[in-house]
Amino acid sequence: MDEKKQTKLLDQLESGPWPSFVKEIKKAAATNPAAGDLLGQLELSYEEKKVHWKHGGIVGVLGYGGGVIGRYSDVPEKFPKVAHFHTLRVNMPTGWFYASDALRTIYDIWERHGSGLTNMHGSTGDIILLGTTTDQLEPAFQELTQAGFDLGGSGSALRTPSACVGQARCEWACYDTMGVCNHVTHHYQDELHRPAWPYKFKFSGCPNDCVASIARADLSVIGMWKDEIQQDDAAVAEYAAAGLDIQKDVCDRCPAKCMNWDGKKLSIDNPECVHCMHCLNVMPKALRPGKERGAIFLLGAKAPILQGAVLSSVLIPFVPAAEIVDTLKELVSRIWEFWDEYGHNRERVAELIQRVGMAAFLDAIGLDPVPEMVAAPRDNPYIFFQKESDGSNGDDKG
Amino acid sequence: MVPMETTKVEGQPRKRITDIGPPNFEKFLHPLIKKNYGQWKYHESLGPGRLCHVAESGDRIYTVRAGSPRLLSIHTIRYFADLADKYCGGYLRFTSRNNVEFLLDDPARIEPLKKELEQAGFPVGGTNNAISNIVHTQGWVHCHSAATDASGIVKSVMDELHYHFTHQELPGKIRIALACCLNMCGAVHCSDIAILGIHRQPPVVRHDLVPKVCEVPTLIASCPTGAIRPATVDGKPSVEVIEQQCMFCGNCFTVCPALPMANAEFDGVSIWVGGKVSNARSAPRFSKLAIPYLPNNPPRWPEVVKAVVNIVEVYAKNARKFERMGEWIDRIGWPKFFKLTGIEFTRYHIDDFRFAPLTFARSTHIRF
Amino acid sequence: MATFEVDGRSYEVDEDGFLQDPGIWNEAVAKDFATTESVAEMTEAHWKVVNYIRNYYLQFGIAPMVRKLCKETGFKLNQIYELFPSGPAKGACKLARLPKPTGCV
Ligand code: SF4
Ligand code: SF4
Ligand code: SF4
Ligand code: SF4
Repeated sequence: MDEKKQTKLLDQLESGPWPSFVKEIKKAAATNPAAGDLLGQLELSYEEKKVHWKHGGIVGVLGYGGGVIGRYSDVPEKFPKVAHFHTLRVNMPTGWFYASDALRTIYDIWERHGSGLTNMHGSTGDIILLGTTTDQLEPAFQELTQAGFDLGGSGSALRTPSACVGQARCEWACYDTMGVCNHVTHHYQDELHRPAWPYKFKFSGCPNDCVASIARADLSVIGMWKDEIQQDDAAVAEYAAAGLDIQKDVCDRCPAKCMNWDGKKLSIDNPECVHCMHCLNVMPKALRPGKERGAIFLLGAKAPILQGAVLSSVLIPFVPAAEIVDTLKELVSRIWEFWDEYGHNRERVAELIQRVGMAAFLDAIGLDPVPEMVAAPRDNPYIFFQKESDGSNGDDKG
Repeated sequence: MVPMETTKVEGQPRKRITDIGPPNFEKFLHPLIKKNYGQWKYHESLGPGRLCHVAESGDRIYTVRAGSPRLLSIHTIRYFADLADKYCGGYLRFTSRNNVEFLLDDPARIEPLKKELEQAGFPVGGTNNAISNIVHTQGWVHCHSAATDASGIVKSVMDELHYHFTHQELPGKIRIALACCLNMCGAVHCSDIAILGIHRQPPVVRHDLVPKVCEVPTLIASCPTGAIRPATVDGKPSVEVIEQQCMFCGNCFTVCPALPMANAEFDGVSIWVGGKVSNARSAPRFSKLAIPYLPNNPPRWPEVVKAVVNIVEVYAKNARKFERMGEWIDRIGWPKFFKLTGIEFTRYHIDDFRFAPLTFARSTHIRF
Repeated sequence: MATFEVDGRSYEVDEDGFLQDPGIWNEAVAKDFATTESVAEMTEAHWKVVNYIRNYYLQFGIAPMVRKLCKETGFKLNQIYELFPSGPAKGACKLARLPKPTGCV
């Protein structure tokens, strides 16, 4: 642009107490003309109430089928510096932990090769390096891998797995979410970079599910304990003395109604506990997950497209902590094999299950049905009884 | 400060490195965190945006959390890096809701850091029963299918809800999320309040482009209602959209650029409430429709801001301690939710897709 | 709309370099586009992949799924990436003149 274009609408978003993304774009624009054109194009979108990016764009780095989101402006003559404005998804360190110098390293590279704008982080959890041209992708990528960073997944590839902070800084983590996630991410590098199936894995350390795995992941691994809640009676008494209404705020809110407070002593009928986390959240000093720890595996969450949103549902009620990684790999390989045979293009695992039926799916991956898998047994009588001669009839369904 | 090997590349052809995966997080952990990994005993709140985690060993790590706009310039990232060096040996992290967290071992530095962050315009808060940062998507900044912008609405809403970020006085947590189209990148569909960009016009079929850019069978299969059919237009193969069958999901555009959806006049925003992800007390659940349509009104979307603030305020006044939005509505019932919030109940609130009957009131339980 | 020129021939392409007119494909065209996808020489193996994709498309109107492509051509996925460094979706489909694949965002 010859003269500095005015951005009257966006300028109004510089004021107010919440940090302003417009200020951020302007800061970047001071040293980078692409950020300036982004601002200009965004102003145009604000004026016209309409997006100005063209559909799709398929660009990448050599040898990878994902990790780059292609973007082209539909008004390149007005904003030539964002005519190409592709994004690199960089796999974040698990748990989003950084040392300051690592951030400087990434963003020095990005200053040389891109717009100087970023998302910390994108919806998938990746570091989003926002906006560069096709010819800069490969050099940026090479510098990133030299510095020890790699691209994450996109499109039809396995998406970058993510984990809650877990044992790094949370007393409720029932397994090492970050360790498992990091291991799994490295194990599936091929599937992350060369699209084979479009799955998401997410790891939460307890049923608080801070990474929303039950809502977003094809495979949700959520920390769980099996034995009794660890209870510190002295600490309970301290909470009571400090004014916490244990009856009202803890016992009455327990969904299993398995807690009793007699004014002095809290007792929990542990076999009735549904592991919801409420009482632990309210009294972190007094109550802690039990000692027999592991995870519950749930399967199938997705957003509404195509036939409606799905939450993950229970597949394996409890996997001991030490067996999580092996169980996951075995499970994924069995599901993948079935998906390979019967899955449709772009089909998420929930859709596959809906199409073939959960029972047939369980047959295929070799898991026995257990009542923990359902909220209730079916209430319709349309049962696909199998022939009784041999047990193998369900196998060809799909 | 933690040293990291940096690249020295001048001139030399380098070996191409691929498939190395993310760096191991261990080298980015504060020494206290590394030492006490898996050995945390409990935590306590030191006020909004400040946490103290105590290990079995007695060690304490302090967290200071600040809000960010998610869309950041490298200059701000460097500022965060400098702050981390100044206050906590260079150790910081980001949360799943786009907050930045500084990890300190010296409690005396918490308040100075907080002050410095606030002076630089980054509010400290977002913990416990505060409204944390709004998870959001790209919007007009970087996505082709956006029916609305993301950053502008988030900024405008958070400007108004700022108080609830820096204070933790609400009955329970409120998680707000925004997605700019029905693809819903991010867990918006399980949020206490979800702001969702929507189209309200069927796609325009660009018959000149269909044969060039479309896999027609994929396009037809992409429509959840079967509204897209093969058709011959001017003697050439193309598709037609049965408009009465279209519910404007935009999936056809996702698979085929020749069916654009964006429409400045009709696109807008819908508001959904009562979803949650956590298992605490009640089970995770989807958000339900509160307001089917509000106009796109940049730069500050006053209608959307007003609607969200209203829902927050009515909730804050009426919910009991620990009740999340959905749990509060469970207790009072939907009729009362609409009454208290003054939101109009319309035909659009009644589901008419698959499984719709499951959402009907199938009992005589009723409140007058 | 951009044009792609090679040895005096010119093609109408989109911004990703995908050939626009579906009607003009032949092997020479595929060879011309190979140069844009880091394919130095079209070997028998390359043709096997391109022809499979193209024939599948002509028959079914869609690109084959990756695993089907691997199964039918006998190449492992990483071998396909060795043949077409920009990948089956971008590289091989471009040479076979399929509509640009629309991976989700
Ligand atoms: S999911 Fe549970 S273990 Fe993980 S950070 Fe959240 S509360 Fe802690
Ligand atoms: S975890 Fe939940 S279900 Fe279990 S005792 Fe505590 S409140 Fe009750
Ligand atoms: S929600 Fe829709 S418009 Fe927004 S970033 Fe995701 S795909 Fe793009
Ligand atoms: S917008 Fe959705 S419902 Fe309408 S034609 Fe496209 S895919 Fe079908």
